[in-house]
Amino acid sequence: MSRTKISDTILASLTWIFAGFTIFVLMFIILYILVNGVPHLTPTLFEIRYTTDNVSMFPSIVSTIVMVFLTLTFAVPLGIFTGIYLVEYVKRGSKVVMVIRTAANLLAGIPSIVYGLFGLLFFVVFLGMSFSLLAGSLTLSIMILPLVIRTTEEALQSVPDGYREGAFALGAGKLRAVFRIVLPSAMPGIFAGVILAIGRIIGESAALIFTAGTIAQLPESLSNSVRTLTVHMWVLSGEALHTNEAYATGVVLLLVVFFINTVSAFLAKKIAKG
Amino acid sequence: MKKFRLLGIVTALTGAMLLTGCGGSNSQASQQSVSGFNVNRAINVISREDGSGTRGAFIELLGIEIDGVDHTSSEADIANGTSVVITSVSGNIYAIGYISLGSLNNTVSAVSIEGVPASPETVQDGSYPIFRSFNLAIGNLNAVAQDFLDFVLSAEGQAIVVAGGYISVDATAPAFAGGGASGNVVITGSTSVAPVMERIAEAYMTVNPSANVEVHSSGSGAGITAARDGTADIGMSSRALHAHELEVVDSITVAHDGLAIIVNNNNPLENLSVEEIRQVFMGNIHNWSDLLN
Amino acid sequence: MSDKTLINVREAVMEKFFLFCASTSILALLLICIFLFANGIPAIQEVGVRAFLLGTEWAPLRQYPATPQFGILPMIVGSIYFMIGAIIIGVPVGIFTAIFFAYMCPDKLYFFLKPVVNLLAGIPSVVYGFFGIVVIVPIVRVLAIQFTGHLPGGASGMSILSASILLGIMILPTIIAISESAIRAVPKNYYEGALALGASHTRSVFFVIVPAAKSGILASVILGIGRAIGETMAVVMVAGNHARMPIHALRGARSLTANIVMEMGYASGLHRETLIASAVVLFVFILLINLTFTFIARKSGM
Repeated sequence: MSRTKISDTILASLTWIFAGFTIFVLMFIILYILVNGVPHLTPTLFEIRYTTDNVSMFPSIVSTIVMVFLTLTFAVPLGIFTGIYLVEYVKRGSKVVMVIRTAANLLAGIPSIVYGLFGLLFFVVFLGMSFSLLAGSLTLSIMILPLVIRTTEEALQSVPDGYREGAFALGAGKLRAVFRIVLPSAMPGIFAGVILAIGRIIGESAALIFTAGTIAQLPESLSNSVRTLTVHMWVLSGEALHTNEAYATGVVLLLVVFFINTVSAFLAKKIAKG
Repeated sequence: MKKFRLLGIVTALTGAMLLTGCGGSNSQASQQSVSGFNVNRAINVISREDGSGTRGAFIELLGIEIDGVDHTSSEADIANGTSVVITSVSGNIYAIGYISLGSLNNTVSAVSIEGVPASPETVQDGSYPIFRSFNLAIGNLNAVAQDFLDFVLSAEGQAIVVAGGYISVDATAPAFAGGGASGNVVITGSTSVAPVMERIAEAYMTVNPSANVEVHSSGSGAGITAARDGTADIGMSSRALHAHELEVVDSITVAHDGLAIIVNNNNPLENLSVEEIRQVFMGNIHNWSDLLN
Repeated sequence: MSDKTLINVREAVMEKFFLFCASTSILALLLICIFLFANGIPAIQEVGVRAFLLGTEWAPLRQYPATPQFGILPMIVGSIYFMIGAIIIGVPVGIFTAIFFAYMCPDKLYFFLKPVVNLLAGIPSVVYGFFGIVVIVPIVRVLAIQFTGHLPGGASGMSILSASILLGIMILPTIIAISESAIRAVPKNYYEGALALGASHTRSVFFVIVPAAKSGILASVILGIGRAIGETMAVVMVAGNHARMPIHALRGARSLTANIVMEMGYASGLHRETLIASAVVLFVFILLINLTFTFIARKSGM
């Protein structure tokens, strides 16, 4: 075989091996949670009011969904507008872009526990929100902001300049070009960032424990302490008394993420078309 | 080639499912298949994090804390909670750890100490040597918090303590005679104490619907700090409070709890002396062969 | 006002609005910086820079008559080892898998696998942590028992290796998703051009498309590393958390983040401030990594 063919085969095989490994591991994790959790999914786990007997996850499910929506409401528009500014309005490679990009990267690197710390001392204590849904979601918004900004940037940059030029040639102003032509084409990429952000929000525990507290109750107002599903799972597994229920919570977590992912995909497709 | 690839994927998926099936049937604690307990293996010591009340109580009771220095072995794995200790011990036949007796389940075995098995009864009659108290750290209590405290110490509250596998502080506690105070009570602290405190809080809110009691679990140290800073009305601690802490808050004992020394179900060890436990957790006894002869 | 002026005004207003949005990230960062530094720097001064950064003993709860020790070097080294381990395992696997998804995966399979990968992005650290304890740790334990099972401390499997494998797996969804986006974003005509010039499918993908997607792939790696360094819960459950200098890959270590999460709840006074100071150290560390990557990116002409 020629050298080219050998290196080709090696690369191709590596790709299959690594991809196979990824698929194997990911399937294994999902199946593992399902096998260990589904047998313990009893109706008592879904009662509306949480008691220490039923350790119901229903309030946590509602809290999680509300937390996700609230956080996305704060962070996604902010992130997209920032991305738009960085890509459409500033000369590529200018200092401003560098500064903001560095700021975003740094924010992305700060561990969730530090956000929890910051959220505790700033939102909870200094601004007096005490353990609340609001404090938790504001903290999480800052946390996912860099992710949204970065992926919006990438997505916008991948829209060919031809689209923009075409729009300008047809007489559209910058604003219209961005919102009607460029943004919709970039939607799938932005959607990818939103998915990762949702994943991050739902998976967050350390930051929420210090800002939203751990009370399992339905969120009646923004200032209620809430316990999201992940925190619920952590608390349940924390004292070895409810490991089975923790796995059941894990199953529900997977279903919630799957549901949110599917909805987002559907939405993104709609925007891209329309 | 295409068929080969498809076969590869199918194999990967099938493999994943089979392995999960095996893992699942072993229940969530993957119990090691006993190929034999090799006594020449080293002991895997598992301890808790520094701020754990359980750890604090343990090192004090066993004299592992000497002159203010904690001499727990530096090779001890640090587990972040009781459940992690249990999962680790149930999965590793060479491991040993300590947990709250009330959290003991059948995935691990509790060792007898100097011939005395670990149970609420032996703790109660004093024959089991290692136990600690669940304490509530309090500053100035408002009316509703005081009312709740009275409930915890009443017959009803103590009945819940006993039902949870812990030991009551007062078997002859009178029935609860309060109620009627309204307001919020914020309780935070030990993850060991929180479960029983939550149940008591629920019972209290049934008796006194105008009160709202919130129980957060954050760790003994955090509970004491919160009570001291006023961030919480009551702080839960699974160890006795230190002198410098008692200068700022009061401490009320509401239950006793034994400390179980646990080993894997397939570990032949059944009995230990207090001194042996001490030396093991300080890292001075290394091999199972030193304990099993 | 004429229509044109109105449009210009609207454009100008919106531009300022976007600028305002963009500066909120700087604002947030400043806030966090101020908070961290204002609490952390005094602590470092009180402990002494050398004793803090180079001290090998971390024992903050020592009571009288002993004095508390605040050396975080064991945790710094631990964090570095975890990061390197996660990169070694997660980055190659992630990038190759992204390439697979973009250019070598049969459509039907892709339709099924993509949601699965997205699903994995949402799995909480606690779940990964448990998975690590019951699957990864026992496997590593079998390995470790062969080599170190008779040595003091035994071989529990709670080790740098376990944490690296787990972290590598955890950052896979991030790296795959963003790398794949970047690879797909490379215009198809690059690929077709390479084919037309006689390159094979594999060569076109690996030597034309992938280099063109460099910046996106690098972004995914940076984000992935960010996740790895910031990971707390999962690492705490599988890494052993020994507060001493790491010994080797089959033994455990403690990261800066694990240190913070385990002790923050109850730390007060100087102890709490040193934990915030260690967050500052982490911060600076991440800054250095980002700068290094940006430098490398600049050098290779992106």
